[in-house]
Amino acid sequence: MRILTFPLFVLISFFSFSQDSNITTDSIPQHLISGANAIVRDHQMDVELVSRREMLVNYKRTVTVLNEKGNQHVQAFVHYNNAITIKGIYAEVYDKKGESIKKIRKKDFLDVSAVDGGTLYSDSRVLYMGYLPVDYPYTVKFSYQMKTDNTGTIPSWYFLSGFLVSTEYSKYTVKFSDQNLKPSILEKNFGDYNITPQKSDNQISYEARDIEPLKDENLRPPLHKIFPRLMVSPVNFYYEGYNGHITNWKEAGHWMNNNLLKDQDELTPSTISIAKKLVEEIEDPLEKAKKIYQYVQENTRYISVQVGIGGLRPISAIEVDRVKYGDCKGLANYTKALLKAIDIESYYVHVEAGQDKVDFEDNMASFGQGNHVILAIPHNNQYYWIDCTSQVHPFGFLGDFTDDRKVLLMKPDGGEIANTDAYVNEDNHQLTKAKYILNEKGGITGDITIWTKGIQYDQHFALEGIPDLEVDKYYKNYWSNINNLKIEEFSTKNNKNDVVFEENIKITATKYGIPSDDRLILVLNAFNNSQYVPARSRNRRFPLEISRGYLDEDEYELQLPESYSLESLPQNVNLETKFGEYQMEFEKEANKIRVKRRLFIKEGTYPSSDYKLYRSFKRSIVKFDNSKAVLIQKI
Amino acid sequence: MIKKIVVSALLLLIFTPSVAQEIKFGQIEKAELEETEYVNDESASAVILYKHRNTYLLSNNGVSRLVTEIHEKIKIYRNDGFDYATEEINLFKSGNDDEQVKKIKAVTYNLENGKIIESELQKEEIFKTEASPNYNQVKFTMPNVKVGSIVEFTYKVTSPFIWNIDEFRFQYDIPVKWMKAEIRTPKGFRFKQTPKGFQNVYPKTYTKQDNRIGMEVVVREYNIHNMPALQQESYVDNIDNYRSGVVFELVSVDFPGYFRSYSRTWGDVAKVIGGSDDYKNQLDRTRSFDDEIDALLEGKESQEDKMKAIFKYVKDNITWNGVDGKYFYHGIKKTLSEKKGNSADINLLVVAMLRYAGIDSNPVVISTKDNLIPFFPTINRLNYVLAYAVIDEKQYFMDATEEFSDLNVLPTRDYNWKGILIDNNKKVWKQIDIASPGKSTSFYVMDINLQDDGSCEGTCKTRFNRHSAMSFRKKYNGQDVDTYLTSKENKLSNIEIDNYTVKNADSHEGNVSESFDFFDDYGADAIDGKLFLKPLGFLSMKENPFKKEKREYPVDFGYSFKDTYMVNINIPEGYKVEHAPESVVVSLPEKLGTFRYIVAQAPEKVSVRVNFEINREMIASDSYPFLREFFKQIIAKESEQLILSKI
Repeated sequence: MRILTFPLFVLISFFSFSQDSNITTDSIPQHLISGANAIVRDHQMDVELVSRREMLVNYKRTVTVLNEKGNQHVQAFVHYNNAITIKGIYAEVYDKKGESIKKIRKKDFLDVSAVDGGTLYSDSRVLYMGYLPVDYPYTVKFSYQMKTDNTGTIPSWYFLSGFLVSTEYSKYTVKFSDQNLKPSILEKNFGDYNITPQKSDNQISYEARDIEPLKDENLRPPLHKIFPRLMVSPVNFYYEGYNGHITNWKEAGHWMNNNLLKDQDELTPSTISIAKKLVEEIEDPLEKAKKIYQYVQENTRYISVQVGIGGLRPISAIEVDRVKYGDCKGLANYTKALLKAIDIESYYVHVEAGQDKVDFEDNMASFGQGNHVILAIPHNNQYYWIDCTSQVHPFGFLGDFTDDRKVLLMKPDGGEIANTDAYVNEDNHQLTKAKYILNEKGGITGDITIWTKGIQYDQHFALEGIPDLEVDKYYKNYWSNINNLKIEEFSTKNNKNDVVFEENIKITATKYGIPSDDRLILVLNAFNNSQYVPARSRNRRFPLEISRGYLDEDEYELQLPESYSLESLPQNVNLETKFGEYQMEFEKEANKIRVKRRLFIKEGTYPSSDYKLYRSFKRSIVKFDNSKAVLIQKI
Repeated sequence: MIKKIVVSALLLLIFTPSVAQEIKFGQIEKAELEETEYVNDESASAVILYKHRNTYLLSNNGVSRLVTEIHEKIKIYRNDGFDYATEEINLFKSGNDDEQVKKIKAVTYNLENGKIIESELQKEEIFKTEASPNYNQVKFTMPNVKVGSIVEFTYKVTSPFIWNIDEFRFQYDIPVKWMKAEIRTPKGFRFKQTPKGFQNVYPKTYTKQDNRIGMEVVVREYNIHNMPALQQESYVDNIDNYRSGVVFELVSVDFPGYFRSYSRTWGDVAKVIGGSDDYKNQLDRTRSFDDEIDALLEGKESQEDKMKAIFKYVKDNITWNGVDGKYFYHGIKKTLSEKKGNSADINLLVVAMLRYAGIDSNPVVISTKDNLIPFFPTINRLNYVLAYAVIDEKQYFMDATEEFSDLNVLPTRDYNWKGILIDNNKKVWKQIDIASPGKSTSFYVMDINLQDDGSCEGTCKTRFNRHSAMSFRKKYNGQDVDTYLTSKENKLSNIEIDNYTVKNADSHEGNVSESFDFFDDYGADAIDGKLFLKPLGFLSMKENPFKKEKREYPVDFGYSFKDTYMVNINIPEGYKVEHAPESVVVSLPEKLGTFRYIVAQAPEKVSVRVNFEINREMIASDSYPFLREFFKQIIAKESEQLILSKI
């Protein structure tokens, strides 16, 4: 299990006093109400870069909530830590007539530790308003001021708060006392939205009005690609004792190397000799690196401790070596130190991890991007990537957590943007071979082997070493199309070198074939039966995005009971679409039926109008996967 | 026939009288470090090799503290057991009093080249967090942990909350090889200890002189060997009900010249709660609401109508803050002005209003499902209160915290056990049964017009009452209609739904019904001029929820129910019935449930009527094999095919 750690400042939300929105509910335009659970009436952040060592943020947010589902959009909370001071936090609740019904002052806010499961300690805390609404609609006005001497990251801005919520007015302002402090700003997904920038010598602001609510949709591009937002990043800054000047990624890498990573990769002589001893009989540098990675996987574990500068700087390798645990930064840096001890070069890498592939921006260098650290090992003109927080992944295999995206490498001559390994279409392969025997009562006995590669490997290989009870649960869920399934035997082979996972399963199931009168009816595709069709979407807005393609191939041989003969076999099928292909073939041979299936899905982004076609493709697959053969009793 | 399941080996625990006294810190066997799996449970990711818990009272200069010493030794077998190398100690605080932890010592042991290597926890690796206003948390994780390590730690918690003895837990998510627990309480304080869980553990009890507090103390020693891990299962009311342990409650304080009894029977418990100000004096103060209620009751003649009006009024106007409670949080007046409160604020308000309306009404105190079953007469373990009324000898239970609850149809969390009636006026304080909500029914009527290409269209009408209606209303009102329909389409085999209407979904009373037209392009398989289909179509049960072969704990359905399906399939022209599934009746033993599947044929249509009943909300684990087989047979029957062929 890997958990994201790398909290820079939390994307804090923030205030100002100009435009006081009308607090009654009547004044909201109808087009912002229909289809919304809440309306963000007024949302403003005012960032003031007073000096390199002082950032003030004024924040205010006024939200009218129409019903229970809109409560989540009030967001009257603020994250802080030891380096951030929160002042003047205040909230007021109004009823639909605009009359004040509750005032929430600083002491009434709840102050709790904001730590997730994988974290042992963090100074991150959250102040939040505990208010239980009793009548709808109601309105909450919330504001605070924040002060910090770290200017290494500047809050970003989203003009939309989510789905089913509209924005009446949203404004982001950044002021800077001199030109050195002028941040770089990237506008993302502005599209047709009504957003107007205003720029002057010492301030930049963006205003948005009247953004209607959006509905969430299946298989849409990730939020960061569709919601209008701003990325803001400093050029000259101060961060936990270090000054910085960054205009490009090369400089960003230098800054990391010269400040936060500097001297963190030292090791004690005894550990260096352990590392050397580990690889003393290995010639090939890549094999050496594998050995070190294996050592790290077997001897360390993921535990996160975040204090102050720990948000960005790894704990020293010596420290990790002593306690044998660390977060992503600590473990990557430790591995890098061990590799250095055996004269293998490797680079510390910032990445935005998660199922969504998020690229680092080519044209804007900032430490606000990224939430995870991995390592890149250069060898024969290519990079081998490793995630040191995993105790199970093969060397050089990332999986869907960090695959196929632009990341930042800290190389000795500065930062460099590179793409992690992509697993494209056929790379994500699954081959299932099965022999199964049907008895005259409809029961089956089967012998199945599944080989997976690429992202499909990533989805299967966790089966290695899980308790029997869990294995049983897994297959009963994986083959939920087979009722009364019993797992008789199970074994796996994990070929980490070629990254292929093999499962061997023996199963039995009663009543798989359905007796009807003197017939037995059964679905021939027993072991890779799609049941999922994406939901119907009325008035689709967003493009269809298939983020990872795959290829499934299946070969089954079914032996029929002696006392039955085949009455009918389903038609062969061949579907070809722009999204992929599907073939299903049935062939009778003596008392056997051979089934061949091939499903290929292509990665890609398609116009929203294609969603319907894609859905109907998937729906046909479900239909043909359930093609039935009819057997009839021999007289 | 199904064979009755063999009594699980887990129940055959052996509690041997201990020979060894206790294990000293640092006493590590090489053989333990060499072990690669746990003999008694090879699936265990880690095992508590030894745990010693010692709880006692300490007095110093007139200040008493409850002290708990912990010594624990854990063997890690696999990666996923690493979690047990991190210890979290929750320290409660209230006002100026807080619990404190001291003397943390922790060591990890590893075997390296045949030698035992120790790594000790450093002070700076211990972290304290103010987790919330109610508690602090001290956390540490062991250094140098890998597969095969043994971790060992001790610490001491000092608590000013001396009456509050935590539950002693003897069973965890990993197995325990050996556990010793000890509690010493001054003789004059009588604590009652009640065992819980499936595995009972009995203490050795004796008295001795404790010089540190200068009193005679009662000592209870628990000695446990080979406790299995607590298995997680689905459809369990609350797994902690089955976790082995003991709970303590103060029964009386008895010193020369002083005696005070705390609860002992349920009657005593009721009297104590009834004697509190909240129950004694507050329920008959009506000034804060009399005007409103007068207006509400105007024109209502029968007591029943008055009760309904009041119940609805409270549900509509007061919001539950999600907090349980048997005593007021706000009190009646503030609850009315703030329009919100905990369960006591809300339901005691109902009681007060009903009394004002002249209805015989009283509170009934309960323990909800997430709060465990009270295993003995106790005040502390009751966490919730219902409103109760009797009209013409008919009992009504009410819980106004939930918008869609009804008279005698309470949220399922309330049906945990019995209730404690507190009728101060008639001086009746006793345990009573909570009226059964009666069976919830769901009724489905479906007309299917089948086409010769296998597609079909039709209409479906459904009706729900009682708990089925309540759960429908909660689901339906919890999302927008589009999202609701989309997920419904997906759940019902990807059919397309049109003309959807729903009736009475906003109300909390009576039936709720829905109706829709559907189109299903794969309603039947068209194979060689024949049509094959499941008569119940997309309403067929698809998966057995009970996949596991064995079960430890009872199955909790939440409420008993009866589902009825009436399906008419209109046969396309030019087709006849070649084969229809046979009618069948399957029953569970002891009338726990029945499944009836009745088929009728006419030339142009086939009708199927299905009744599916589960007659008890809770089914004991020894009936589990029957229950599993019952569901198996239902699925098999419902997947049988109706075969139509060309004339």
